[in-house]
Amino acid sequence: MDRRDFLKQVAVWSTGAAVAPMFDIRSIVAAEAAAAAKAQTVLSVMKGKDIAAMVAKAVEALGGISAFVKKDSRVVIKPNIGWDRKPEQAGNTNPEVVKAVVKLALDAGAKQVMVFDRTCNEARLTYVSSGIQAAVESVKDPRVQCIMIDMKKDAKKFVPVDIKDGKSINKFDFYASALENECDCYINVPVAKHHKSAILTMGLKNVMGVIGGNRADIHKSIHERIADLNLVVRPKLTILDATRILLRNGPQGGKMEDVKECDTIIASADTVAVDAYATRLFDKKPEDVGAIAAAKALGLGESDLSKVKVVEA
Amino acid sequence: MIKPLWIPWRWWRRIIQLTLLVLFVWLFRRTELDSKAPLTGWEGVFFRMDPLAGAVAMTAGRCFIALFWPALVLLVFTALLGRFFCGWICPLGTLLDYFHALTRPLSRRTNSLVRRSIPTRVRKPVRFARYVILAACLLGAVLSYPLLGYVDPFALLTRGLAFAGDPTWYKSVDASFNAAQWKWGTDTLQPFFQKHLLPFREGQFYLAGASALILGAIFALELIGRRLWCRDLCPLGAMVGLIGHFPFIRRTPGKVCKNCNHCAHICRMGAHGPDHAGGVSSATCNLCMDCVDECPQAIIKFGFKRPKVSNATVDISRRGLIAAAVVGGAIPALAKTVGGGDGKAAARLLRPPGAVDEKKFLSLCVRCGLCMKVCPTNVLQPSALEAGVEGMFSPHLTPRLVFEQTYCEQNCTLCGQVCPSGAIGHLLPEVKRKTVIGKAYFDHKLCLPWAKGVACIRCEEMCPLEDKAIKIQKEYDALDENGQTVLIQQPRVDRNLCVGCGICESNCPVNTKDNIIQGPAGICVFRADAADPGMEFLKDNPPTFNAAPASQPATSQPAGASSKPATRKKE
Repeated sequence: MDRRDFLKQVAVWSTGAAVAPMFDIRSIVAAEAAAAAKAQTVLSVMKGKDIAAMVAKAVEALGGISAFVKKDSRVVIKPNIGWDRKPEQAGNTNPEVVKAVVKLALDAGAKQVMVFDRTCNEARLTYVSSGIQAAVESVKDPRVQCIMIDMKKDAKKFVPVDIKDGKSINKFDFYASALENECDCYINVPVAKHHKSAILTMGLKNVMGVIGGNRADIHKSIHERIADLNLVVRPKLTILDATRILLRNGPQGGKMEDVKECDTIIASADTVAVDAYATRLFDKKPEDVGAIAAAKALGLGESDLSKVKVVEA
Repeated sequence: MIKPLWIPWRWWRRIIQLTLLVLFVWLFRRTELDSKAPLTGWEGVFFRMDPLAGAVAMTAGRCFIALFWPALVLLVFTALLGRFFCGWICPLGTLLDYFHALTRPLSRRTNSLVRRSIPTRVRKPVRFARYVILAACLLGAVLSYPLLGYVDPFALLTRGLAFAGDPTWYKSVDASFNAAQWKWGTDTLQPFFQKHLLPFREGQFYLAGASALILGAIFALELIGRRLWCRDLCPLGAMVGLIGHFPFIRRTPGKVCKNCNHCAHICRMGAHGPDHAGGVSSATCNLCMDCVDECPQAIIKFGFKRPKVSNATVDISRRGLIAAAVVGGAIPALAKTVGGGDGKAAARLLRPPGAVDEKKFLSLCVRCGLCMKVCPTNVLQPSALEAGVEGMFSPHLTPRLVFEQTYCEQNCTLCGQVCPSGAIGHLLPEVKRKTVIGKAYFDHKLCLPWAKGVACIRCEEMCPLEDKAIKIQKEYDALDENGQTVLIQQPRVDRNLCVGCGICESNCPVNTKDNIIQGPAGICVFRADAADPGMEFLKDNPPTFNAAPASQPATSQPAGASSKPATRKKE
């Protein structure tokens, strides 16, 4: 710890102590966690069947949702709504996970919550069959919107972004609502799946749902390019849905034999750490997934799990 | 005389016309994917009540199609009442009436000009054109050479609206909102439009111009003479006219009063007067009831009473009818001898899922365009001459029209649901998932891992089958342009599994730039009955490009599987 970090922690602690009696004892915990997160990457892993409670506990272990979603902020929740598959087929993020995250963001006082993904199959089919549109609409809050992206209708909403430090790509189109100008807190809610060319698709690859242009081009050097895209979209929080994971025939699946009930939620502010930890669910190592190594090389996060503080429950 | 309730007959007619037009437009609007509101099953009802479409499909397909039961109902009523269909039901007729009302000042001028410049001896044979066209359709059906798609009024209207009208409507509304930048408009009005009045997205169709031109020509004819299409050209009108030429409900008096002539002057169908030797042709009269209300003497009535002076029922003699049949029948007969009608399709002519075999498909398909209208991915497109002259406007899949979008959705069965004639089967989703549209073949000259040693198995990622039809034939490590080791996976198609949905072809990055298609893909779908196109010539000898040196330690490689030695599986 250097002097600057020490002074910062002192400031955080003293503010927390001064403000805590006026509000809630939790803010001390949050401040404590935030201070700890500065020093070490924290990763929370929750197991169980009650999805809403697991999501809440996983975020609580990272310092509570208020550490990520500020009052009156604009929140983007980015699940994987890629395929015309039912929730039990594990092709998309579990709608219950999405709903739990939406509720957390609303409870934290978000001004606006947007849920979207650029689907691979026809959006109208995918939003319905994934169950995510219904789950989001069941929250019944005017602040939350489930937005369908249509490449033809929404062409103007994709803006070119320079990727200065990109190794393999230097420029790509991104969906404007997912970028910093229009979003204060980007919450990445991927699902863990097998993927033939990317080996596994999890938090890092989920960014492909907010890019425009020719997604097939990413596949020419998929690991480096996924890492490069993550230089632009930096989630404040990644909550990986591993309640059901797809072991084979990903990323779409379809066969129930390929689905494994894992009943796990993995969350962290560090997407790379989440992905690195989740490789274990597939009996793999972080080194096996090229995108994790490439993202670490770009300084996007920590893939060495021995350096990560893992909170399990 | 049969007295109308409350309001005059022609007002009843106007109300029913408007109601049915609204129904037609509403059904047309609803012919779209809406996951929250499934199709009603009535989208094709106007085609199912089309007796000509039914007769042609059943004759050409040599089978009975129960789906056309509304046409039977219509035939019974036509035999009893006469040609009321054209005046009261047909949405094209209604639109023509409205068009006339809008362009009355213009058409009055053009009308008299044409009437003066074209002598009767030219006009007379033109009036028989509809019988020639009808004969061509029916005899073509006997020869299994369907020509109905060129002339059926519902097909012309629906295709014109679906291929050209709807995209234009979408584009103009969208452009207006964008140009206006009107806050209330974009916040309140635009969502309303998008929800109720616009298609989900602007469709893109081949033959949009041709369809618009044909429909436009029908409306342009209205400037020359009222209901000129209906009375002189429409084969459906000719058919219901012939069937309803001897109805129970007749007009009295049966002749035009010589000193007045007003009813002959105002008749939109030209059913009175000089063309019919002063009588009233019940094969032409569409029972619009204008003459009843406009008769200065108020002596015109429609009822069960037979007029004293008998009506001239059909405006064609027996000899004329035979002549029309010979001329009309010669068209498909000649066309068939020149070529076509053999049911052989080009290798790339992919028919919709659940389509019956090619020859029967062309016979049953009424070219209504509904399947192409409803297709959520726009992959169904009208054929031009790929299937011969008789195959014009029939649907086929074009996976490479719009990048990343045009392929057949695995769980979608909409085309079969709207097909009015059963040319495309109404499949259950679990049957549809296994229904073969075609088979995919790699093009080893284009496919990136095969032709250039560049990593890409986008097709494998997109393949929607539970057990993917794209397998990996050979894997090896190679160096990319940055000197990085990359895993190259050379894919192959397991054609026992492939159903030919085309998602691989539409998503292939080969020959695309910024979402614009610039050429063929590295993988193409061909008809299941087509011969092997021979594009997979490297199958037994997969090439290796820039192989990474074997000495490189496995740990430094980004992909774990890449440390395995290159394997080669035989197909």
